[in-house]
Amino acid sequence: MNIFLLFGMGLFALVFLCLYRAVFGPGVLNRIAAISAIGTKTLVILLLMGFIYNRVEMFVDISMVYALLNFIGTITAAKYLEMKGEI
Amino acid sequence: MISVTDDIIIRAVARILIPFIQVYALYVIMHGHHSPGGGFQGGVILGASFILYLITHGLEDAEERMSELKAGLLSSFGLLIYSGIGLLCIIKGGNYLDYGRLSAILKVVPAQARSLGILGIEIGVGIAVMAVMFSIFFDISTGGILPEDEEDLGGNR
Repeated sequence: MNIFLLFGMGLFALVFLCLYRAVFGPGVLNRIAAISAIGTKTLVILLLMGFIYNRVEMFVDISMVYALLNFIGTITAAKYLEMKGEI
Repeated sequence: MISVTDDIIIRAVARILIPFIQVYALYVIMHGHHSPGGGFQGGVILGASFILYLITHGLEDAEERMSELKAGLLSSFGLLIYSGIGLLCIIKGGNYLDYGRLSAILKVVPAQARSLGILGIEIGVGIAVMAVMFSIFFDISTGGILPEDEEDLGGNR
């Protein structure tokens, strides 16, 4: 079995643990951290998909966009929390 | 109204990261026909860089770089590039967005004119999408009420 596929499936399983924390997690800080972790895992899964399909130069582009937008999303959620509902 | 953040880490990271995001957005726009991406995706990334600046540096600083008026003008300008190239192809006797007809204007072979034409289209789409993304976020964050309007309203909001 392809080792990249194996690691991708492992990360895919870990996403659901983070998703549990994002849905049921006590408090909004846990949710923000869980969403950010899911984004990071998605980024790595995208790169592993690039290795599986032998087109890693294309998937690097997509995963970089994902990293940038994930960062901005986390900052925005934290800003929303800081301003107590007014963005 | 979004004010400047007190945290120096967020401000410094944003200041370092924003130019790289914008260069990457230009890369996505320019390489849209070779790799994933294109005008819309590059425009979204370019708009995200301005949104990041607005979040981290506050509304007053962001209005010097990109105001509501500039966003409106740029979105219209991007649409003008798109429809202008399309109509230019009709004027040269082809269909709408038939880039091969631009070879007479650009003085290149039709295959190269197609490549340049779609690049022009993607630049137009990128500018328009960037301006509209920023405009949507600007409107949501201010609730449609600008700081100078708040003084007229007497601050009873």
